[in-house]
Amino acid sequence: MATLVAGQVSVDPAEFAQVKFDAAEIAALVTALAERLGVSNTIELVVDETTPLTKITCSIEAASSDATIVIDAQSGAIENTKALTTLGPVQLNTSVGRMLLRARDRMRTDFADVGPDDDLSLAQTAAWDTYCAGRLARAGIDIIEQRWRYNHRNRLGFSDAADADFDRLWVAQDLAWSDVIAGITAT
Amino acid sequence: MRQFFPVEDLARDERFVQTNMAERLADTRDPQESDSKRKSAKSRAASNRLTPDRPDASERARGLMHGIMVGEIQALEGAGRTAHDFEAGDGSGDTIPFELKLDMARQAWDEARHVEISAKLGDWMGTELGEFQENTVLFEAACSNDPVLRLAGVNRALEGLAIDVFTQMKEFGDLAGDPFLEFCEDWMLADEVTHVKMGSDWLRKVTEKDPDRRKKALEFQQVVDKLFSFGGSRSDHEDSSFTLARRFRELAGFTEDENETINQLGLDAFNERSEAVKQAQDAAVAFADA
Repeated sequence: MATLVAGQVSVDPAEFAQVKFDAAEIAALVTALAERLGVSNTIELVVDETTPLTKITCSIEAASSDATIVIDAQSGAIENTKALTTLGPVQLNTSVGRMLLRARDRMRTDFADVGPDDDLSLAQTAAWDTYCAGRLARAGIDIIEQRWRYNHRNRLGFSDAADADFDRLWVAQDLAWSDVIAGITAT
Repeated sequence: MRQFFPVEDLARDERFVQTNMAERLADTRDPQESDSKRKSAKSRAASNRLTPDRPDASERARGLMHGIMVGEIQALEGAGRTAHDFEAGDGSGDTIPFELKLDMARQAWDEARHVEISAKLGDWMGTELGEFQENTVLFEAACSNDPVLRLAGVNRALEGLAIDVFTQMKEFGDLAGDPFLEFCEDWMLADEVTHVKMGSDWLRKVTEKDPDRRKKALEFQQVVDKLFSFGGSRSDHEDSSFTLARRFRELAGFTEDENETINQLGLDAFNERSEAVKQAQDAAVAFADA
């Protein structure tokens, strides 16, 4: 299957059959997003167009600052929810943006012990998503805070303690992994 | 005031984007997570049901809640149309009993309240109005020129679907510990059972001396029920997204035979949709290999 390569970003597949996505447009959006977030690494985005589900994960090839970032996305993660099967720039910025920040976190020594995305618990994933979404909002990305608060509550509980944890993570910067998940046992 | 309003003329502001069943079914992606993925350590969901242990639970719940809200808007519009579109009479021809008009007006009042509740639940879940597509299939079922078909299509099929969906969302809220979602869905569910019961009672009463008309209405209901299964999303199959709330349906006047028929329609739709998706996936693989 062919892969489109544009600068630091590659998109697989280069042509889509089941969705109306344009690989060149995706590459351009990811390039602009990476620049905005200060991510200069090579990025490989693999899209599974056979499913409308919304799962997205990332990994880095090595724990170094110049590592290649690999992002696996189900098509629903970057789809326009107002026009199904078409690309959603807002959804792409939210989904891929979280993965870019997550990948950058993984390059830090204080994230060295974090397992692969698929091995994280739902609460750990939610806490990290909150931390990433807050930073995206401050970077000027269109983010609905309440959406992430609801997700945080679903995973850490509908309680004052969970809300306080959300507030802490939402405004945080430069956290270690132990800080990101500190609220999980506390709630 | 204008009577018999087509779906194309529904009033919506620029935030809403509408779609229909033809467009939805043209999407050939597989919405079901495959067995191999689901049962691996990578997926925690035990089935395709909406449960809090799904990785995408929050997103799916937000999307479904938005679908419920636009469904409530269309239910309001449908009940309002039925109260207004037909003259009061003995129920023959194009007339409906005045008491039926009153029931439709009461239902419109209920649906207006449901729209407000659903919009507030959307706020609570972080969803913007119009964030998701609006499928107009619900209102389309309310456009028949025969009031008895509207009772079958809207009150029994549409509101019956609402019973199934609200039961699912109530359970989701309960399991997630969401105090507002569980509470609000429970109250709206009680109204929906009443709406279906009204439809069941009026359908029997209006067609009491016209078995052919009753037969046509029930056939129409089956067509709508199959459409409302959304390609098999509703059935007792473990891969369907939600199941029939049989107990609440019984309270609303559905017999066990009717519930089983609806379940079978869902299973048929599920199998047809699965075959169509498989063919499309095979074609996509051929495209990628070419």
